[in-house]
Amino acid sequence: MLKLWKQTILAPVIAALLFMVVFGLSLGNSISEINGFEYRVYIVPGLIAMAMAQAAYSNNSSTIFQARNDRYLDDILSAPMPAWQVHLGYLIGGAMRSLLIGVVLTAFALPITGAPLVHPAEALLAVLLLTTAFGALGIIVGVYAQSWDNQSFINNIVILPLIFLGGVFYSVSRLGSPWEQISHLNPLFYVVDATRHGFLGSSDVNPVISLSIVAVITIGLVSWSQYLFSTGHRLKP
Amino acid sequence: MNPPAALDIKGLTKRYGDGTLALDDLDLEVPDGSFFGLLGPNGAGKTTLIGAVCNLVRPTSGEIRVFGNPGGGMMARRMIGIAEQEPNLDKFLTVYETLLYHGGYYGMGREEAGERAEQMIDAFDLRNKRDVEAPKLSGGMRRRLLLARALLHRPNLVILDEPTAGVDLELRHELWSYIRVLHEQGTTILLTTHYLEEAEALCDEIALISGGKIVARDTAAGLKVSHGAETLEQVYLKTVAGGRIALAEEAARA
Ligand SMILES: Nc1ncnc2c1ncn2[C@@H]1O[C@H](COP(=O)(O)OP(=O)(O)OP(=O)(O)O)[C@@H](O)[C@H]1O
Ligand SMILES: [Mg+2]
Repeated sequence: MLKLWKQTILAPVIAALLFMVVFGLSLGNSISEINGFEYRVYIVPGLIAMAMAQAAYSNNSSTIFQARNDRYLDDILSAPMPAWQVHLGYLIGGAMRSLLIGVVLTAFALPITGAPLVHPAEALLAVLLLTTAFGALGIIVGVYAQSWDNQSFINNIVILPLIFLGGVFYSVSRLGSPWEQISHLNPLFYVVDATRHGFLGSSDVNPVISLSIVAVITIGLVSWSQYLFSTGHRLKP
Repeated sequence: MNPPAALDIKGLTKRYGDGTLALDDLDLEVPDGSFFGLLGPNGAGKTTLIGAVCNLVRPTSGEIRVFGNPGGGMMARRMIGIAEQEPNLDKFLTVYETLLYHGGYYGMGREEAGERAEQMIDAFDLRNKRDVEAPKLSGGMRRRLLLARALLHRPNLVILDEPTAGVDLELRHELWSYIRVLHEQGTTILLTTHYLEEAEALCDEIALISGGKIVARDTAAGLKVSHGAETLEQVYLKTVAGGRIALAEEAARA
């Protein structure tokens, strides 16, 4: 599983750390505090969430697509494993890499930026939910994808913009009406906001609300990917 | 009471999403312990039939039983080993890992699967490729690995979809002798092939499939007698390929 660790673990960790250094440490001096936090501290939780979300998504979408495309998925489908077990296996596989990235990133980012970890259990819950949700999304896209391009398309056109507009780099409450309200329609805003509350103890909306919304999204996506395995829809002609 | 057939298929129909009718109300019984050949032209429905039995294709209707167990269920899947027509190997896994993971899928513990993987590596002469990934294997080695994987979990019914396509003479004989030994030990074999002499040499019963239906079924000798033919090839041409050949002749003359 960790054979490709340079691509799947090291690359996203370095990318996120670069964001922290470039935006945080250089830009941070010219940007005033946000909600009482230095800028370089403020962006840390969102960047960790973003790196983990993308890792879970891209690992699973490429794993499933590859297995379908090269047809070695057949070796799994013909084996005596119920659909939920296969599904769970893929979810855990993606989550392991994503969580490893989260741990490594947190271990580097907190000392470098001085960001706190105020509610560790809450932060863990937030990242577990987001990892599961994005892992399931990866499975769904991997199942529906017709080509390799489909997956990066979804990543570049849907996930990345929504994360960026979800308040990784700014507090959406500073946007003012109507952009603040529009931002609240973005599901990824709640992912970022819940993670931020776990780390910094401060957020735009009540963490109970954001965690609940993230949980509902997670349940929805997991049910969808489970449905794909249960019915064999698109996995078996 | 007779022991249940290895494979009992009744009224199996498969219509693909694009409307192709690949299996048309097909009935087939493969007796326990037999060496069974499934012959038919390209597109006859052989791979589709195998897919339906192995939970790889969703049947449109019909019933499948594997040693009496409902097709696609856990017991049925556990009892079948399949080597597909197209080599389908995970390109990131070595020979050993491919076998080890397969054992895991079939509920073996790590140690048991590891031991069994080493056994299969020796049996299929892959020892010096043990730690090599699939893309770096030759075509024949991939075939051997595919067969090793199909047999790893000691299935009662082994399904081989054209295992000897594109394989050199030496390996073909090697594969045959391995499959023969397996059959002598009591494993039921279902084999598809386009080499009629291979089917005649190996199989104790043969079914001819065409247009998604079984059109004839007997021993090789029985088929020759009932169709007044001297070779299996003549039977084959008479039963399943006649129309195509007439068309080809027409096209050549046009
Ligand atoms: N996934 C699919 N979607 C639509 N049609 C399919 C699909 N797979 C197979 N078919 C069609 O079903 C029919 C039977 O194909 P199948 O692969 O079962 O034949 P076969 O007997 O295995 O042929 P061959 O000897 O060439 O391997 C063909 O008309 C084929 O084009
Ligand atoms: Mg075929």
